[in-house]
Amino acid sequence: MRRLQSISHRLRNLFHKDAVERETDQELHFHVERQIAEHAMAGMSPEEARHAALLEFGGVEQFKEECREARGVKRIESLLADLRYGFCTLRRSPGFTIVSVLTLALGIGANSAIFSMVNALLLHPYNFRNLDALVRVWEDRGIDEGYDARYIAPADAEDLRSTNDVFEGLATYTVQSFGLGTEGDLQPILGCRVSANFFDVLASTPAAGRLVGAAEEQPGADQVAILSYGSWQGRFGGDSQLLGKTISLNSRVYTIIGIMPKDFDYPVPVELWVPLALTPAEKGDRTQLSLSALARLKPGVSVSRAGTVLAGFSHRLEQQYPRTNAGRATTLLQLRKELYMFTLPLFLLLQAAAGCVLLLACANLANLVFARMIGRQREIALRAALGAGRGRLGQLFLSETLLYSSAAGVLAMATSFASVRALRTSIPAGWTKWVPGWDGIRVDGNVLAFTMLAALGVGLFLGLATVLHTSRVEPNKTLKETGTGTATPAKRRVRSALVVAQVMFALILLVCAGLAIQGFVRLATVYQGFEPASVLRIEISLPEKLYSDNVKITNFYQHLLRAAASLSGVQHASLVSNPPASNVDSETTFFTREGQAALKISEVPSADLQIASSDFFDTLKISLVAGRIFSDTDGANAAPAAVISRGMASRFWPKGDAIGHRIKLGPQDSAEPWLTIVGVVGDVRQNWWNSLTRPVIYRPFGQSPERSMTVLVRTTANPTTYVSAVRDVVRQMDPGIALRGINTLEEEIADSIAIVRILGILMGIFGLVALALSSIGVYGVLSESVAQRTHEIGIRLALGADPRDLMKLILGQALKLTGIGLVIALPCAVAISRAMAHLIFGVVSVDFTILGGFTALLLLVALGAGYFPARRAMSVDPMVSLRYE
Amino acid sequence: MSKPTDLVQGTLDLLILKTIALEPMHGWAIAQRIRQVSKEVLQVNQGALYPALHRLEQQSWITAEWGESENNRRAKYYSLTKSGKKYLQSEQANWERLSAAIGLVLNTA
Repeated sequence: MRRLQSISHRLRNLFHKDAVERETDQELHFHVERQIAEHAMAGMSPEEARHAALLEFGGVEQFKEECREARGVKRIESLLADLRYGFCTLRRSPGFTIVSVLTLALGIGANSAIFSMVNALLLHPYNFRNLDALVRVWEDRGIDEGYDARYIAPADAEDLRSTNDVFEGLATYTVQSFGLGTEGDLQPILGCRVSANFFDVLASTPAAGRLVGAAEEQPGADQVAILSYGSWQGRFGGDSQLLGKTISLNSRVYTIIGIMPKDFDYPVPVELWVPLALTPAEKGDRTQLSLSALARLKPGVSVSRAGTVLAGFSHRLEQQYPRTNAGRATTLLQLRKELYMFTLPLFLLLQAAAGCVLLLACANLANLVFARMIGRQREIALRAALGAGRGRLGQLFLSETLLYSSAAGVLAMATSFASVRALRTSIPAGWTKWVPGWDGIRVDGNVLAFTMLAALGVGLFLGLATVLHTSRVEPNKTLKETGTGTATPAKRRVRSALVVAQVMFALILLVCAGLAIQGFVRLATVYQGFEPASVLRIEISLPEKLYSDNVKITNFYQHLLRAAASLSGVQHASLVSNPPASNVDSETTFFTREGQAALKISEVPSADLQIASSDFFDTLKISLVAGRIFSDTDGANAAPAAVISRGMASRFWPKGDAIGHRIKLGPQDSAEPWLTIVGVVGDVRQNWWNSLTRPVIYRPFGQSPERSMTVLVRTTANPTTYVSAVRDVVRQMDPGIALRGINTLEEEIADSIAIVRILGILMGIFGLVALALSSIGVYGVLSESVAQRTHEIGIRLALGADPRDLMKLILGQALKLTGIGLVIALPCAVAISRAMAHLIFGVVSVDFTILGGFTALLLLVALGAGYFPARRAMSVDPMVSLRYE
Repeated sequence: MSKPTDLVQGTLDLLILKTIALEPMHGWAIAQRIRQVSKEVLQVNQGALYPALHRLEQQSWITAEWGESENNRRAKYYSLTKSGKKYLQSEQANWERLSAAIGLVLNTA
């Protein structure tokens, strides 16, 4: 209440200034009159009385000013005056204003664009309530090398669900491809089998219809499906009567009970969700880690507390079921963190780079402002002489810098809508298919707030820098000086320091950009061990009903391969269960070596399992290290064979005698047949996050056929021209089979690391902008200082100085400044490269070519920045430059 | 000008508030009253009174109203607001505590 009164009072003081002033006059006047009357009554003469009264009262004007101050008007008034003045100043020099606003808008805009990415991808990848309480839960075996898939055994998940006190709910799910439709018109559709509480845990509700009920988790009662919004719109044409209708999935009839909202795409963009109805046998399985799990923490339970509980849980299971669960650690990770575990450092690097660009822009601008300040020295000195305090001068500068930084902020906000949309749409859709949240990148309140804060921060920073820069004004000296004023040595030092800082930031940024781009290039070449060029990949899923046994499956694929291989221009056609760069982990399996003593389950080694046809190794040109590759004789009736990777061979048979040994899948007591190792092939990088030497067991397709396989075709010409031919072959064999994931292997590789590529490109852009900004900065400072020395250069030339010596002098100055910057920046750049090598995939170590190259580049820029102003100064007739003031 | 006992920082506010607690008063009368009541010990610098009054008004401890003075002139009369009354009470209590404490120290030393 009091505050409100106070504000209304202040407003009246501000807006009815004249009336308030008049009243104060009257009030003081009354006092003096009253005092005169008092003195007159005491017997003084009128003159004496007036004189005494005024003397007693003191300086009327001074008290009026104090009254104004007491009313709190003065501060606001002077601020308004400063803003007005600042506005006029900026309007008087439109060139400066435009340049500074644009430079800042560029720097701020770059930051908001990157922040919009960070905001969408890192901060809000999913639109779930209380996202931070959602955690992924899985069982970690600890002995598997490299990145492991995150799965949990069904029975363990069931135990965890019923015994823990830290989760509100724990849902399990598994992504699966279904065949949609009836025979003859069968289409593959990606779906997800989910436990009944899946949507509850995510706290998601359907856009229409209902969710899965608990009773529908039972086998037999599970034939209900929930569609994604995209599927409803695309596949079913947005049919408003769809609920209650039935569809056929894998030849079973499912009733559509619900449609999810548009933005719901967990765990990956699938088209439908069906209940995960496990048979009692499947439910009791503790061996296979076959399900994904997601849980919601109870309110107030921290991730670390839940971690402790899970550790205790794993320990109990280990004791209770040592055969299956020994060495397994139940682990959790926040959903938000899981998504961007690998790319988080890149995002942070990018945001830091954008920040660096803004700093460079600020440094350039500070240079401009300081240069202007030299021109305004007399004005400032005059103000100081007339009694403007440091605070008052500071307010003046601050209101000026805030004016154009806010203008830049507004400009950046206005353009951010367009630039962010451009950022989102300029990236091909294929690149972003593995980037969850990409379509959510947009300008929202957070981004706008960030932009305005950045703008205000910049304004404050520049204003304070100006205040510090001009704090030691000596009015006496400055006002006595003639001419336009020159920079004092101290001020020149400040500006030199700015150049040094710019060179520093530019080098660091360029080196980081170089490393990021190199990281991307390296990542592309990280797919070693095979030749991706000229290979076409096509995924095929055979429907279970028509292809019910191994013979049918084998027949289909053998026919397909034979027909494809006979196409002209096709060198090899083959099958593999999980092609490289699929962005999906291979199935992992335990294996046992024959003749080894029985191992505890926690020590049983695991390997990736791949099913491959005989031509697979030739199609991808994977080298044969020892033994032989599969042949057509490795069929169902031949002795079970396996080919293993070099990494596996050298790890488990270090003497190089792997050939002829026998292994079997699963632990010691598994019922799997013994497989004879017939060959060792080169290591292949499966996905960019997998280690190259991860053990891989290849089994011949003829001995373990599967319905879902990827066909790989090596061609002599452009592989995309073979798509229709392969499609025709399949149609002739079975028109009901759809082809998916048609792409060249090279493009698939590029897509799989697209986020790294996008970040690399953005880093490259920032590097170029940094180079441009710092060049402008160095050039600006040098040309300014040369221009100030035109007089001196004229005298020297007139006295017969050698122009070459003068040129050396000026270039020497340029090189000195740049050199200092480089000397400081090089160790920083080396340190940052080291850190990046730890954090970022693909970046291996400090790259001295990059360091050396950019150092030389910056030195060249400095030479250019010195050369041109110097030549201009020297080409001036000495007589003219001597007259030059 | 004779130099009267300097007012301790902030006590002018207290004196003004106390003085106008009885009845609304204009500036000159406030100065007179303080001088008389303090038996000429406290001499308020007349000009300095007004910034203090305006500040107190700004802080809403007091309000001002134009009225007719004893010699039939228009004068600005100041009176305590509700919050000003509370403020005065607490400030007066503070002051009494402080002066009692100082007195204790001075008398026992």
